[in-house]
Amino acid sequence: MKTLLTLAWRNLWRKKRRTFITVSSVMFAVVLAIVLMSMVNGMKQQMIDSIISNISGHLQIQDVLYHDEPTMDHAMEYGKEVQDAVAAHDEFIEYTVPRIEGFCLASKELSTRGVYLMGVLPEKEDRMNNLLSRLKEGRMFTAEDDFVVIARGVANQLNLSVGDTIVLLGQGFQGMTAAGTYQVGGILEFPLPEQNNTLVYMPLQEAQHFFAAPGRLNSLILMLSDVSMADHLAGSIQEELDDEWYTLKTWEELMPDKVAAFEARDAQVRVFAWVLYIVAGFGIFGTIITMMYERLREFGILLSIGLKRSQLAGICMLETLFISIIGVIAGVFVGFPIVYWFYANPIQLADDLAEVMIDFGLEPFMSFSIASDIFVYQVLTIFIIALVVGLYPVRKLFRLDMISAARK
Amino acid sequence: MKTVIKTSELSKVYTNTAVPVHALKNVNLEFKEGEFTAIVGPSGSGKTTFLNVIGGLDKPTEGHVVIDDVDIATMKESQLFDFRLRHIGFVFQAYNLIPVLTAMENVSFIMLLQKKEKKEMQRRAKEMLEQVGLSDKLDVRPSQLSGGQQQRVAVARALASKPDFVLADEPTANLDTESAFNLLDIMLRLNREENITLIFSTHDQRVIEKARRVITLVDGAVDKDEYFERN
Repeated sequence: MKTLLTLAWRNLWRKKRRTFITVSSVMFAVVLAIVLMSMVNGMKQQMIDSIISNISGHLQIQDVLYHDEPTMDHAMEYGKEVQDAVAAHDEFIEYTVPRIEGFCLASKELSTRGVYLMGVLPEKEDRMNNLLSRLKEGRMFTAEDDFVVIARGVANQLNLSVGDTIVLLGQGFQGMTAAGTYQVGGILEFPLPEQNNTLVYMPLQEAQHFFAAPGRLNSLILMLSDVSMADHLAGSIQEELDDEWYTLKTWEELMPDKVAAFEARDAQVRVFAWVLYIVAGFGIFGTIITMMYERLREFGILLSIGLKRSQLAGICMLETLFISIIGVIAGVFVGFPIVYWFYANPIQLADDLAEVMIDFGLEPFMSFSIASDIFVYQVLTIFIIALVVGLYPVRKLFRLDMISAARK
Repeated sequence: MKTVIKTSELSKVYTNTAVPVHALKNVNLEFKEGEFTAIVGPSGSGKTTFLNVIGGLDKPTEGHVVIDDVDIATMKESQLFDFRLRHIGFVFQAYNLIPVLTAMENVSFIMLLQKKEKKEMQRRAKEMLEQVGLSDKLDVRPSQLSGGQQQRVAVARALASKPDFVLADEPTANLDTESAFNLLDIMLRLNREENITLIFSTHDQRVIEKARRVITLVDGAVDKDEYFERN
């Protein structure tokens, strides 16, 4: 084996310039693919973080029917069973965010609008999504208060100011009418229009009272200390709960449209990355073919003197792998510092692009990822390409007529 | 003397040409241990085909090639690879050394494939390179050697593993007179000292004049089989 390795390695450097060019083509493909993947994954993670912190959290405990039919009738009982199940896993759960929420009609004098009422604990909500930073006028309620804070769009549509009274009318638990008048204590501003034009926040306990659902929640959001534990934890907590009444949902299950959008984008990126890989693959293929054809006579001789076809094929395969491995290692060595620099110093976006990001509730930065799977993926992909490319000379060698080859 | 190779009714017909070519016709020959034989004849007379067939590189259409009591004409390709490796040495017209290996590594190569012990392998490779007058070129690659020196390394490679016999296909064809004589002297000496059977195909009168046995092939058949007394 050592001899085969030595032969393959030395063969590689018979024509240094050609090997250098091939290795460079692999290296540049790997660098481009790493930078591309890092950028796309970084931005994807930025969006996922935004979705998790603004909307879904990592996991939610819900009534088993709530996800398919999100009405107040499917508000779950937030009692000892749920609290114990959560407490049993508190080493993995950083904090919980209880919510009761539903659509209502909001009116002031003759104006009426549909709004989305959220009953929350302000300090929990703030920890999850920096809600207090959105407050632009007035003050945020405490858990014991009984006033509401409303989004700027709602305030504008209903001509409401801090200190005014808003009338809310909705559907309560089990057919009860939810109705009440509340003072507007503050005004929030959100980047997304659908949030800015619909959201009304109320203290959790007051909202439970409003919806005639004391002790009930629509969802208990679980924020985890380790995101990778989400699936495992969902299963583990579910085991502690009566699955006739309660279900655990991950953010992917709660946001299937977002997951589908990410998958579509990932597919586009993969296509582009594969174009790079194919270019690199043809580079390797060209070199391997040339190296093989210019040595056919030598192959014939080696077979004549007793080298087995499998050993010769092994040498050719090793040559392909050497080129690929050197190219990949060089690519990772060049690519890693680049993406690490951008990871540490995200690209600040300006003008329209920055506005788009802000509109989507994201920071106006282009984030990069340095997740190890990006690098592992490159290594494995190029390795597989090398194996596939390397099969051609192997196939050729097993069919080589050694006498005519030796005479060439 | 022990018979090393025996061919009987050996025929080879190439059918992949427009007209079938009868390269060998009923060749019956025996080669004894330690013989120094030249196979001569005009181009197309079947010299190289004969060497290929008795070397197990090509299969006869009919007949038998018995080496060491084994008919190699009936062997599978995988068995022939092993058989060639252990029993036959080859010297080719165009040296055919492995360019990325040093002279020492080239000579050791076949012994390495035979999985010989490392120390023994190195000792034998050194000894053979000394025998062919290249003890100062152990770590030199083929590209840094002259044609004559490369062919001497090829001879050392062929003989190092102590094969039953060595087949040499026009080994002096690419050499100048001095190098050719030099090579022949070495091969004759090794033939005598190591009692190795040497079979050449050649057009080269210098080789023919040194051979103790000269077989002439014409149109694939044995025309003459002559023995000479040489010093």
